[in-house]
Order: sequence, then C-alpha cells, then structure tokens
Amino acid sequence: MLMETIDFSKHKRVRLMVMQGQARVSGDPRLELTTVLGSCIACCLYDASNNIGGMNHFLLASPTNDSGLDEHYGVYLMEVLINEMLAYGADRRMLRAHLYGGANMSSGMSWIGTANAEFATSFLKAEGIPLVSQSVGGPSARRVDFRPYHGQARCRIVDNSMAPRDLPTPKPREDHGDIELF
Amino acid sequence: MTTAQDKTRILTVDDSPSMRALLKHALTAEGFHVDQADDGVSALDWLKENECDVVITDINMPRMDGFGLIEHLRKGAIHENRPILVLTTEASEEKKAQARRAGATGWIVKPFDAVKLAAAVRRVTH
Repeated sequence: MLMETIDFSKHKRVRLMVMQGQARVSGDPRLELTTVLGSCIACCLYDASNNIGGMNHFLLASPTNDSGLDEHYGVYLMEVLINEMLAYGADRRMLRAHLYGGANMSSGMSWIGTANAEFATSFLKAEGIPLVSQSVGGPSARRVDFRPYHGQARCRIVDNSMAPRDLPTPKPREDHGDIELF
Repeated sequence: MTTAQDKTRILTVDDSPSMRALLKHALTAEGFHVDQADDGVSALDWLKENECDVVITDINMPRMDGFGLIEHLRKGAIHENRPILVLTTEASEEKKAQARRAGATGWIVKPFDAVKLAAAVRRVTH
C-alpha cells in the first residue's frame, strides 16, 4: 500500500520507481510514478473523476523461453492493478489507459515486445477499458513518468542501455493456487 | 490435464471477461461443464433458473461482491450446503476470515493452477 508507506508531509514531490512485476496506485498529487522499459509493458490506468491512478510493469515471456506468453499471469497482473485502483476508490467504468513499451530491441527476441503489447491491447479491449494513449513497439527503450493524480503521462525514448535487463516475470510462488478448505 | 468427461457443473462468477475466459478454458479442459456470471447479482439471477454443483466466485465485483453473494446463498435452504470456492487476488487473512464467516467452503489465491483448482472442485463435490 503506497500511501501508507510514504510520509508525503516531508516532500513536495515524490518520485517512485515501478519495477518489473509491481503495481503502484495513488491519489496523491505530489507523487510521480516512473519506470524504464525495454520489451516490458507499462500500463497506466487512471480515473479522472476520482483523481486515482496507477501503473504496473510486466513482461510475459522470457527471451530464452520458447513456450510462449504466459497470458494467465498477465491477466493476473492486470487484475491486481485494477483491484488496487478500485480499493483506492476508483470507478471501474471511468478507467482510462495508457500503454507504453513493448520494444523489440534485439533480433534474438524480436517477437517478445510485440507480443507483450498485443496482449495488453487485447486485454484492455476485452475489459472495455478505453486506450487513450500509447507508444509501443519499435527498437528503442522508453522512460515513462506518470502522475496518477492528474492522469498525465510523459514518454521519452532513451538509450537502450538504460533499459533494465529483460527478465521473465517471476512465476507465482509454489503455494499460489493452493486451496485452503475451511 | 484433460480427464474423462466430468458431469460436475460449475458456475464461475467474475467481473473480468479475461479471467472468465481463462477459467472457462481451464475448467472445460479438465472435463467440467462451466457456466458463467459477471457479478453477484447476475449469479443469483442465473441460479433462480439453473442449477450447479459448485460456485467459484471472485471477491471484488460491482453491484454485489463475492461476500454478498456467499451470504445471500447461505440464507437459502437450496444453497445451504453447496460448495462455494473463493478465487481472488486478495491474500489478506482478514478477507479470508470474512469469507469463512460468510460461509465459503474454500479460498484460492490467484493466479490459479488449473490442476489444483480442478482437484479442489472434485474434493468438494465428491
């Protein structure tokens, strides 16, 4: 829970990095979420009527893994972001989305970025969440800064060396999916 | 793992079309018959006209959430003993305890494992 862990009274502006596998949500005007993307995707959601926004950052497949995209885990990661938005008071019907990333930076993993972007676009369409802005694909890394309170995003092309090494999204712990019967 | 055709009828309740599609694919592949509703109200409407052997429900849904659905079902004699599994991204003990108090049969944290989920359905229905 982001707002419970940061003392905003001590800062005029707080910039928080969103790492791969994370989802961050806030309704504080002093917060800026930032991330650097290669093949990964960042989805920024916001509800302008309640000034709530959030960002996640994920990669659905390993460059060395030829088993394809783990869409099951992608759906889970998107659901975590949406549920966190709703927990902060967002209205699901008012959600709007930005998508960034999905670059194909090397020939050896040329399909990964495109496939991640296609998954994210399809997910938003299936969920009925309008996609209002996107910058996906291409050969270059991106830096994204997102102000969740305002729903404002800035995306810049950066040198590919700035992008974190693409690692497969960590698989769920072994106990995920276990059933606890009451 | 695909098994012999299982006549167990499952109602899954989730507001996410993507999650509903994943659940239907996974459980159908395990041989179950799957029907779906997109929130608690839709599930109750469906159950007025249809029957199932087990309900698998999300928690966070519009109109009526999973807790409300479970409480509503447990009030009626028809569904008093029907297995209800909660499938959710929520991992807090508080929410789990709330589900238990409402009358849930079991608790599963997403992302789900299809084989484990199918095994759980068989455990609570046989």
